[in-house]
Amino acid sequence: MRAKYVLSEVVTGLWRNVTMTIAMMITMAVSLTMLGASMLVYKQVDRMQSFFYGKVEVSIFLKTDVTEAQRTSLQSDLKGDPLVQNVIYESRDTAWQRFKTQFKDAPDLVNATKPDSLPESFRVKLKNPEKFQAIYNKYNNRDGISEIVDQRKLLAKIFGIFNSMQNVALIVSIIQGVAALLLVANMIQIAAYSKRREVAVMKLVGASNWFIQAPFVLEAVFAGLVGAVLAFAALFVAKTFFLEGALKSLQTVFPPIPTGDVLLMLPILAGIGAAVNAIAGWITLRFYVRV
Amino acid sequence: MIQLEQVTKTYPKASRPSLDDVSVSIDKGDFVFFIGPSGSGKSTIIKLLLHEITPNSGKVYVNERDVTTMRSWKIPTFRRSIGCVFQDFRLLPNRTAYENVAFALEVIGKSKGVARRVVPEVLELVGLGGKEHRYPHELSGGEQQRVAVARAFVNRPLILLADEPTGNLDPDTSIEIMRLLDRINRTGTTVVMVTHDSNIVNQMRRRVVEIESGRIVRDQPRGVYG
Ligand SMILES: Nc1ncnc2c1ncn2[C@@H]1O[C@H](COP(=O)(O)OP(=O)(O)OP(=O)(O)O)[C@@H](O)[C@H]1O
Ligand SMILES: [Mg+2]
Repeated sequence: MRAKYVLSEVVTGLWRNVTMTIAMMITMAVSLTMLGASMLVYKQVDRMQSFFYGKVEVSIFLKTDVTEAQRTSLQSDLKGDPLVQNVIYESRDTAWQRFKTQFKDAPDLVNATKPDSLPESFRVKLKNPEKFQAIYNKYNNRDGISEIVDQRKLLAKIFGIFNSMQNVALIVSIIQGVAALLLVANMIQIAAYSKRREVAVMKLVGASNWFIQAPFVLEAVFAGLVGAVLAFAALFVAKTFFLEGALKSLQTVFPPIPTGDVLLMLPILAGIGAAVNAIAGWITLRFYVRV
Repeated sequence: MIQLEQVTKTYPKASRPSLDDVSVSIDKGDFVFFIGPSGSGKSTIIKLLLHEITPNSGKVYVNERDVTTMRSWKIPTFRRSIGCVFQDFRLLPNRTAYENVAFALEVIGKSKGVARRVVPEVLELVGLGGKEHRYPHELSGGEQQRVAVARAFVNRPLILLADEPTGNLDPDTSIEIMRLLDRINRTGTTVVMVTHDSNIVNQMRRRVVEIESGRIVRDQPRGVYG
């Protein structure tokens, strides 16, 4: 009986301010889409980082005039170095072979490159990839070394782009979230005003506070849930038709987002949308409207 | 049943107290008129009894409970033992007489079945049999006030508070509402009524408490308006 009463109040409440309700749902949807996108990017970047960073190495390129003695002493020092996990020597010849296969789609480039223009190098895998600076300091002054390169630096640039994408999404979601909160407060104020007579009578005859407040809070929660469902739909569409459709070619750098991740966004966004709106609604009622 | 002990109430921003060291005690089943000039503090007493406001000092007991220290979440249940009628009826315009009374039951969790049983009964009691399905704008002022009385009484409260219930009614209608309150009082309900109507007070010859500038100046068992 009580549940039925509360539900019918929610429905009439939503319907009475239908334009407000729609504005509320759209704002909520945009905010949650951005939040969801930012969470997905975050997870994705995390996944890519652990994947790529597991593979990256430090390349120590040798000068063309490196002597045999310099090379062997460097190799044995690297092998005995506690920071180093393993060392692979790459001769000019192997470097050339690798270069050829890597750029087999660009024969002009391969033809323009002389086999002996590629330097020989040591591919050094560190026990802790963060320790590049220590390796660099240790070996930089050695004779016969032309350059020490940290591949992480290259990746860091790419991840930097992802991170800023994620930050933009997060900022937009926060701004939209604030707008959504203001709309919740506004919606509840309007609802409370249009029901002020009922509320006054309910207080007079001793209706419990939750019974008076529940319909208002549930209106906001419902709007939040609809917003979450819309946001989920937007993310799903973006994944299937955008990332895996129009932007399919990007997938070599940006591996596909697992469907499971996107599906997981539904309960997460619904939870956030409902909880945030419930709290905002309750605070409005408790401290502002004083229903 | 109702007891005010040295109650002082000064509204925020007010320069002088609206109630100044007021003590009064009302027994179960009493019928009491509160009279006095405009602004003397009569409605303030009603608000204190309903716990709409709290006193600055002194104690307010209603139904043996200390209202001044009552936790806010207990107020709704507390109010269910009090019925309340006002000068402006406070009916819901988009609900019929029946629905207005049933609303008071519904929102405290009573079932529709209970409403179907007791609402016609109480509407009959206030003399509105046959007009259950009229909307407030289809009822006269006196009839609207009867609906309000029915709503206040439908929970069988121990106390009925009435703040100028006849203030908007003509003398004849006022007498009818008065008879109704009298009948409710005879069922054992304590009735506290604020009024400016000397006619009614003189006819009823009940206990009269007169207030002036927030102080009790007269408390007479079978009083007149004076
Ligand atoms: N919310 C309020 N804030 C400040 N002062 C108030 C407030 N309510 C009432 N007052 C003041 O308290 C005093 C008593 O008010 P109250 O409403 O109790 O008078 P009353 O006896 O019911 O008058 P009336 O017969 O005109 O209804 C008045 O001086 C009034 O101005
Ligand atoms: Mg008054």
